Amino acid sequence: MTGRRAHLTRALPYVVSGIAAAFLYYTAAHFEFHPRPGTLGPDVWPKSISLLMLLVSLYKTVELLFGRVREPGPYQALGTAEDDASAEPAQRHPWLLLLGVGATLAYVALVTTMGFFLCTAAYLAAFLWIGGYRRRWIIAATSVLGALLLMFVFMKLVYVSLPIGTPPFSAVTLALMQLMGIR
Amino acid sequence: MDSVLANLAVGFSHVLQPLNLLVLLIGVVLGLLVAVLPGLTLVMGVVLALPFTYSMDVVPAIVLLTAMYVSGTYAGAWTSILFRVPGEPIDVPLLWDGYPMARKGQAAEALGWTLIAAFTGGMVAGIVMVLLSQPIAKIALTFSTPEYFAIILFGLASVVSLGGSSLANALISLFIGLIIATVGVDDTYGTHRYTFGINILTDGIDYLVVMVGAYGLGEVFTRLEQGFKSRPLEAVDQIRTRLPAWAEIARFKSTFARSSLTGIIVGLVPGAGATVASFLSYGLEAQYGERRQRMGTGIPEGVIAPQTAATASVGGAIVPLVTMGIPGSGATAIILGAFLLHGLQPGPQVFQTSSHIVYAMFASVFLGITFMCVIGFFATKYMVKVLDLPEVVVSAYVVMCCLLGAFAARNNLTDVWLMAIFGIAGYLFERFRFPITPLVLGVILGPLAENNYMTTMISFNNDWTVFFTRPIAGPIMIVALITLIYPLVKQARERARAEDAAGD
Repeated sequence: MTGRRAHLTRALPYVVSGIAAAFLYYTAAHFEFHPRPGTLGPDVWPKSISLLMLLVSLYKTVELLFGRVREPGPYQALGTAEDDASAEPAQRHPWLLLLGVGATLAYVALVTTMGFFLCTAAYLAAFLWIGGYRRRWIIAATSVLGALLLMFVFMKLVYVSLPIGTPPFSAVTLALMQLMGIR
Repeated sequence: MDSVLANLAVGFSHVLQPLNLLVLLIGVVLGLLVAVLPGLTLVMGVVLALPFTYSMDVVPAIVLLTAMYVSGTYAGAWTSILFRVPGEPIDVPLLWDGYPMARKGQAAEALGWTLIAAFTGGMVAGIVMVLLSQPIAKIALTFSTPEYFAIILFGLASVVSLGGSSLANALISLFIGLIIATVGVDDTYGTHRYTFGINILTDGIDYLVVMVGAYGLGEVFTRLEQGFKSRPLEAVDQIRTRLPAWAEIARFKSTFARSSLTGIIVGLVPGAGATVASFLSYGLEAQYGERRQRMGTGIPEGVIAPQTAATASVGGAIVPLVTMGIPGSGATAIILGAFLLHGLQPGPQVFQTSSHIVYAMFASVFLGITFMCVIGFFATKYMVKVLDLPEVVVSAYVVMCCLLGAFAARNNLTDVWLMAIFGIAGYLFERFRFPITPLVLGVILGPLAENNYMTTMISFNNDWTVFFTRPIAGPIMIVALITLIYPLVKQARERARAEDAAGD
């Protein structure tokens, strides 16, 4: 990586946080309320916090863009896994991450339609496959039994009313609820 | 003193009820398992257990989470010593002497020393916790809003400066947490703050959603990106624990004393949890120990120091939680959450209104440590077999517990969406080295800090100097500022020294 690009890459999170802080400050400055004389308004606290965040972000951006790129010092390394001498540099698989995040968001989007059991079983199977597990029978058993177990624990023991789903999927959940004696 | 002992006896009587005892045992075992598994951190484990406490009474709920917290500081030592796999960041210092001991054929001795260290550190800190709590709570009763604001500020400052990341990153993380805490309708004016016309945001963002998402889901996403690598286990069947003789223990009494004290003090400081205690204690032993030159070669002091301090930090961290309602670490933040979920606000008043709950918590620390050590002695080889479970399977269920935990809090799917968003945010934080603990503590302590600040301003005619002129608030504010500024000065000096060396 060239020096210039390294500066930009390192500064990017602080640029983003700086822009976010400026937006938050602007939004706080436009909160609607009727000021009371002699009393601080509900905008003071958020404005102070966002201003401080903006200042720290600006400081880091300027430091990283125009200063010398430094490796993290001992202070930064305190208590991190880097202290494990045996740790190998981690390989990254961004596609796995994207698939995992996508599957999780799809789960949240579909659970009210498919119902808890079907959606959870499908999600568990998909997650295991995305995570690199390839023993098909174990994937099937783990996802179906796991979904049943979670349903039993949360609906029967912890009394959480999990999504039943919409027809025709709800028929499966309702049948299972009847089997488990869940009302 | 008599009243303390009487209250403690009441606490024990609560925990020794069959159901609570069973919950305690489950908590200890879960804490040990969580600590053994590298994919699950202690804080994540406690977060995942929280939804199961919704339908419980407050005592078993607190007992479960406390037992997990205590035992979670211990079992990671087994895998560090035996397989060079630290289950938690707490256990990293155990690699430096514990693993070399195992390589020299002294694995059983190293496991024995960790057991004794966890027991001693935990018990000593437990006694200090019981003795200190009521006097501190009595002092805290005299505090007014400026003092509370100063203490919260000190807590947040120490979280930021001891968080193990760059100061700027920790500050940004904290500010994001404080901003998240302001989302919703303001109590005094009824103003919509950062709701952007979204209905669900008018109720605010539940800190539970932030905690579960950022700690739990974020960590799973990080591991998924790395492809879930687990290391194979070797020779699990030969694992055993050999306890040292009394004479051997007596030889290391100064190490035990130094490390227990370090753990308690670090635990008392908000923000500095078991990890800082473990590293600091190892560092102190390497600097001041009798055999400091041999540290890192596989000697018992290198195992005793971090383990004693890590478990001792639990007792220390519980003191500010119960006496002032200020969580000092990720795990105590979640225990605070359990208190709040059951309608209890920890603080000095809790000793008058619900002392049985506080003392049940204290009793569960003592009983938890005892159970943990018994299980540690007899069942290490069975418990480390959990490492044989493919990490992806464990992670899949972690995600499910996160999703269910977020949903179960208010039976609301929007919370699950928010949790998923905070999961992605947690991954990004990890990826760009922004610590998560300041974010979470910012969300939890933000409303408390704002309320105390605003009330002070109203009571003292907007005179901000009151924070510095009152006899208790003033020194705390100064200590808070020093806590923030000192790392900056230290960093600047190190940089200057490094640049001088490079120049030469």
